[in-house]
Amino acid sequence: MLGETAHATDKESLRQALGLHLPIHSQLLNYLQRLIQFDLGTSIHSGRAITDIFLERFPATVELGLGATIVALTLAFPLGILSAIRQKTLIDFSAMTFALAGVSIPNFWLGPMLIMVGSLWLGWFPVSGRDGVLSLILPALTLGTAMAAILSRMIRSAVLEVIHEDYIRTAQAKGLTESRTIIRHALRNAMLPVMTLLGLQLGSLLSGAVITETVFAWPGIGSLMIEAIQQRDYPIVQAAILCISLIYIGVNLLTDILYAWLDPRIRIRDAS
Amino acid sequence: MIHHSRTTRQLQLLVFLILTSFIVGCSETQPNNVLRFGLANRPTNLDPRFATDATSARMNRLLYARLVDFDETAQPIPSLATWEQISPTQYRFHLQDNRQTFHHGPKLTSNDVKATYEFILNPDNQSPHRSTLSLISEIQTSSNDSVDFYLSHPDGLFPSYLVIGILSANLIHNQHPFHEHPIGSGPFTFVDRPDDTRWRLMRIFDEQLFEFLRIPDPTVRTLKLLAGEIDMLQNDLPPELIPYLAKEHMVQIQRRAGSNFSYLGFNLQDPVVGKHEVRQAIAHAIDRSSIIHYVFGDTAHPANALFPPTHWTGPSTLSEYSYDPQQARTLLRQAGFTDMHPAQINYKTSTDPFRLRLATILQHQLAQVGIRTSIHSHDWGTFYGDIKAGRFQMYSLAWVGLKTPNIFHYAFHSDSIPPQGANRGKFVDDRTDLLIDQAQSTQNIQEKRDIYQRLQTHLLEALPYVPLWFEEHVFIARRSITGYTLSNDGNYDGLLSVQRTSSNLTSQPEHEEH
Repeated sequence: MLGETAHATDKESLRQALGLHLPIHSQLLNYLQRLIQFDLGTSIHSGRAITDIFLERFPATVELGLGATIVALTLAFPLGILSAIRQKTLIDFSAMTFALAGVSIPNFWLGPMLIMVGSLWLGWFPVSGRDGVLSLILPALTLGTAMAAILSRMIRSAVLEVIHEDYIRTAQAKGLTESRTIIRHALRNAMLPVMTLLGLQLGSLLSGAVITETVFAWPGIGSLMIEAIQQRDYPIVQAAILCISLIYIGVNLLTDILYAWLDPRIRIRDAS
Repeated sequence: MIHHSRTTRQLQLLVFLILTSFIVGCSETQPNNVLRFGLANRPTNLDPRFATDATSARMNRLLYARLVDFDETAQPIPSLATWEQISPTQYRFHLQDNRQTFHHGPKLTSNDVKATYEFILNPDNQSPHRSTLSLISEIQTSSNDSVDFYLSHPDGLFPSYLVIGILSANLIHNQHPFHEHPIGSGPFTFVDRPDDTRWRLMRIFDEQLFEFLRIPDPTVRTLKLLAGEIDMLQNDLPPELIPYLAKEHMVQIQRRAGSNFSYLGFNLQDPVVGKHEVRQAIAHAIDRSSIIHYVFGDTAHPANALFPPTHWTGPSTLSEYSYDPQQARTLLRQAGFTDMHPAQINYKTSTDPFRLRLATILQHQLAQVGIRTSIHSHDWGTFYGDIKAGRFQMYSLAWVGLKTPNIFHYAFHSDSIPPQGANRGKFVDDRTDLLIDQAQSTQNIQEKRDIYQRLQTHLLEALPYVPLWFEEHVFIARRSITGYTLSNDGNYDGLLSVQRTSSNLTSQPEHEEH
């Protein structure tokens, strides 16, 4: 911060200004006190309040996370269900090949490829940046495809597990159509493991998709944290880790609550 | 039932069409009156009292006027002010009559100069520039247009230290957040920062808007230029992209010899690389011309000294270390290393993919003469931290933006071993110290130049660094962009005269302009 030739007195003055001369427990106490007031400190390099930086960056991360989730769900559910109910057919084979490709292709390659096609050849989308709804499509596709690949495999195996259960046979015997049987009965019972995975994936997306954010110059939390680590901007790194941890906990808590909504058998009951 | 499902499908299709048209309708269009400049790095701080990174420094040059600037040979020249040396420790600066007013209206006066430098010199403000300027003992203003600097000791290079942008004394007093909203008296005024990837500036004389966009990935930056979403970019591209872009008919490329000095540094207290013969062997083992041709695509020039020949102290003729593997092997044998007992070196570098590639090439070339190197790559912060703390045997790095020859004292004088300076390899050499001291004490510029040139010849013999190359500056723009001149230090001053010619606007792809 002060350069290599800084005088010892200047270094000491900076230590005092940052509160680094205090004992560790006092520093921690001060930090927690400020945290209660939503004061995350200021960036060492830019001098801006970290809360402001986060408030500026977080909407971009949420936007990208939700966009990618929508892409993933739109792709994963039809693919997973189709490959389960048409097991060992060409559809199943194709869907699972897509899933394999989706998991295997890294985002730093897929991103520029999508840019080449979507922006340079077709001219439909902006190359990068966060400038309007169209600019969300390529990064959301990049992130969502990999997510869809994993999700579709999970949906397939979960549906395959329940598809031979008695209640499915009963539903078919009642005369329900295949689609109704799958959507109303099979899918709902297969949703628990899918929701677990979805929760984990959404948690990591909201914590910042570093590579995709970097490729698409998307101003989110992930790229903020990487920049802060590279610059040794410790207050930002500290705040980012705290924020990411809270998001993970929050999303996982939401997932647990969703379990109870999806499956009445695991609702919390009063012991009495 | 069939009817119901068909209706549902039709409804779904309708919703999809509405959503699609909504998305297309919502997208913002980019106005065509803005010139867009692609940046690899974010300007960390647009307050010149605190900015230290290259991008901030280059943008701050546009936003703030400064007392002194540099000419093509890096000699200080008047910018906001001319100066006279009243005594060895007193300089008087006269502000030029034709200076710009501050962007918020008031005229820039000597009080503003005084307030800016006094703020930096106040230890409570923790400016990273304080140590360079700490020889200033007092600043006095005799009139609105004149300011005197008193020094604690004579320094003939003093005017070249006064390159920090001048801020308004009133705004400093009111603690204006310059890092959020810069206000200077430079040729550009700050407009806004819509998010952390975009900065909008306006060129004052013709009200031309500029948008600086941060696009960290070099491939994406290139694609954005090809798609017409940015108009120009400068540097920070892998060399292999430059020949690719040269084939594209819609872009133009300007190149200019640069002054960023790349080198191999050594821990001179180390039993292996501390030996002069080993460093000489390394210098002879590296085939720089092949690396420059095949890896850099001829966008670099071999370096033999810290300053290029265009610098006022740059030596024009130095006998370089030729690529001579046989000589390298002989030197290694003289140093006591054989095939059975080879020299083993740990080589530290950053995780930058291009730097890593260079490191593996150097590793291979050194292996050809019998030097075994193991590469240790770390993220920039860790790597640079290790270098500053002296935790290395050999490393590669570059000095960027060097202007004044006081770098020799900072990097090679025995008084500058960290934490006093950047003599990180702990180079202790009486002749080097003597030459640096002599050069600093003399006030005669010609004499100074001669001593610094002798010093650089001596450093090439002593080899505390193995000089590698100066990388070129490259400016790439759409064909419609005219009037940009690349500077030798990579600053963005070319934006003062850049224009987009209207005749080429029509030939741009439909999606880029609306």
